Amino acid sequence: MTRPLVAIRSVAKNFGEFQALKNVSLDVWPGEVMCLIGASGSGKTTLLRCINQLAAIDAGGIWLDGELLGVREQGGRLHRLSEREIGRQRLKTGMVFQRFNLFPHMTALENITEGPTQVQGRKADEVRAEATELLRRVGLAAKAGSYPAQLSGGQQQRVAIARALAMKPMLMLFDEPTSALDPELVGEVLAVMKELAKSGMTMMVVTHELGFAREVADRVVYMDQGAIVEQGRACDVLGAPREERTKAFLSAVI
Amino acid sequence: MTRLSHLLAFAALAAVTSAQAAELPAEIKQAGTLKLTVNSTYAPMEYRDPATNELVGLDVDLAKELAKRIGGLKIVWSETPFAELIPSLQTKRADFIISGISDRASRRETADFVDYLATGPQFFVMADNAAKDATDLCGKKVGTTRSTSFPVEIDKWSKQNCEPAGKPAIQYVPGENSIDVRNQLKQGRIDAAVQGSETLPYAQTQEPGKYRVVGEPFAKGYQGIMFRKDDAALREVVTEKLAAMIADGTYKAILDKWGLGANAVAQPMLNAAPQ
Amino acid sequence: MKPAPALADGFPDLSGMQIAREPHWFRWISAALIVLVLAAIARAFANGQIEWSYVGRFLTAKVILEGIVNTMVMAVLAMALGIVLGIVVAIMRLSPNPVLKTVAAGYTWLFRGTPLILQLLLWFNLALVFPTIGIPGLWSARAVDVMTPFLAALLGLGINQGAYTSEVMRAGMLSVDIGQYEAAQAIGMGRLRALRRIVLPQAMRVVIPPLGNEFIGMVKATSLASVIQYPELLHNAENIYYANSRVIELLIVAGLWYLLVVSILTPLQMLLERRFARGTLRLAR
Repeated sequence: MTRPLVAIRSVAKNFGEFQALKNVSLDVWPGEVMCLIGASGSGKTTLLRCINQLAAIDAGGIWLDGELLGVREQGGRLHRLSEREIGRQRLKTGMVFQRFNLFPHMTALENITEGPTQVQGRKADEVRAEATELLRRVGLAAKAGSYPAQLSGGQQQRVAIARALAMKPMLMLFDEPTSALDPELVGEVLAVMKELAKSGMTMMVVTHELGFAREVADRVVYMDQGAIVEQGRACDVLGAPREERTKAFLSAVI
Repeated sequence: MTRLSHLLAFAALAAVTSAQAAELPAEIKQAGTLKLTVNSTYAPMEYRDPATNELVGLDVDLAKELAKRIGGLKIVWSETPFAELIPSLQTKRADFIISGISDRASRRETADFVDYLATGPQFFVMADNAAKDATDLCGKKVGTTRSTSFPVEIDKWSKQNCEPAGKPAIQYVPGENSIDVRNQLKQGRIDAAVQGSETLPYAQTQEPGKYRVVGEPFAKGYQGIMFRKDDAALREVVTEKLAAMIADGTYKAILDKWGLGANAVAQPMLNAAPQ
Repeated sequence: MKPAPALADGFPDLSGMQIAREPHWFRWISAALIVLVLAAIARAFANGQIEWSYVGRFLTAKVILEGIVNTMVMAVLAMALGIVLGIVVAIMRLSPNPVLKTVAAGYTWLFRGTPLILQLLLWFNLALVFPTIGIPGLWSARAVDVMTPFLAALLGLGINQGAYTSEVMRAGMLSVDIGQYEAAQAIGMGRLRALRRIVLPQAMRVVIPPLGNEFIGMVKATSLASVIQYPELLHNAENIYYANSRVIELLIVAGLWYLLVVSILTPLQMLLERRFARGTLRLAR
């Protein structure tokens, strides 16, 4: 019996008074492509950031590949892991940000080789060869020596995807990957994501691109005010939503 | 040689003062005040009393007495660093300078001195230092205030007393003022220090038993009241009053008050320092 | 001047007319006045009681040139120390560790809160407090032998500079988009590695222009070390006028040299700014 790749149990996250996540539980299965949709402030981005520990949860637990994230149980109490251990746990996930966050002082290739050489201590030539291959895979082999400022938004985001893939994660997190792009550039990024999905990568994508969700997602999760309102197959949630709130959201965006 | 020059100087002064009754310059008489600048970091000549921050000192007392006798004048004091004293006289910011300044030939280009106190640079060390004679200081680090004439004096003395004896020259170490120099002596940055002999009794009462004088003042000189060359009238008035103060004992009383009775002069002299 | 001829639809035809140049009378008058004032000042100085021959004679005196060399050496070394300290303290200030944060804040408060000249005097006279210094059991020495004017000046100027540089560095690091730090964390980098590889290189681009400005200030701040007997330019110029009483002339000599050095450094610093601003503009999306 396979176990979920990501098991989220009763997770709560507060920012001061504001409850960003209220008692959220969710499973993500290996190879699954899950799209999270909802209005701003619904908690979908926060949930993603809790999985790669850019945000620390206040209650509940998240297991990635069977390992409890961020804390360890000892003597009946939970102890926070050290920065080094958290860094190690982060290696299992790759994140793609809405605003790309490429390192501007490095070329596209260097952005991709940075993690494997610096963090994983791998050999430079090996890493460079893999990075070149990744660039080819995202369609940017010719741009290896270009700096982010010389690339279009779509190209930057594709490099960002390659950068995340270079760490060989078991889970890819996408935080509104196309929201900051000009419309004509959205397609090239979605194409890369589709290819990635097809290759069997487990993906959690926070997005407003319902067409992409309909086409590629195995599961769609609709969140509102820090809780999961409805989840299911894309055709079900998007085509025939059960909950009133889901219906209201969809009619507002379509 | 010095005795003769003293005699000549006194004769010159006497001749000048007796030739005419000295007249106070009109502007001063009109203003009713005497403008004086001092470098008030030179105890016991002029300094600020740490308790009251009042300007006090031997020069201050002499000046107040002179101002009274000249014509009931009030004194308006202003303070400058030592190096600014001579410029302040040239620019007429001061009517004359009485601020522990030595009469030196190099300064007589633009000024005249009425000598009123015997002085001379003096070596001193921390009480526990082994040096007995001044020649024990050859080859050692000796500090003094760099803006004075003492660095030159030390160099001269070293050439005259250390080299001929086959000893290494004194190593001169600069200091900003006499307090800085004493600090460096306490810390051991210098082995000995040089100050005008008029400051040492005060330093020794301030910190009894800390310092010890080595040898005698190694160059004889005078502190002088400094006047502009074209200001003979004022100079004569002051000389006259000073002579009177010496004659009636007020001068000696003031010197004794500050522990410098031994530095008294018999009469005020004009430009009498040996060099 | 003829009014413009009317077009067919009633509006005047302006197509052939040019916009007249404004005469800017006020600018001409004020410029002329300023030139007159400057000329009067120059004339006053020329006729003042300054012996310009002394200025000429001492402008290239050996002792003055040595002073300039010592000034520049100290400025460079103290600035280097200040930058190293500034980076370390800025990182401490931005650390999640409250102990490091407080120590960093305390350092900045102490060394920005007291005058530089006071700090120099304290360093130079340290032996009054600690006659001997050293590591117990390993090495000890008399404080006066260790604390030479050079070292006291270096420590005083450098540590003071560090307090100001740390604020510049902190602002520079905060100016780097937090997304950069998060992206570094997302690929597994720890805080220090992320700072070193990703944040600091980007912060430097923002920080180097103001540091260039600070360096120009440091060149002049070295003159304060004259009171602790460091033989820099002002100290040496003072020694000359203590001997020959030519106060203004020697101060002019020193002033001219400071002006020269700063006049060379200022356009260099502007070049630096432009180069790095170009970089950051290039980086802006």
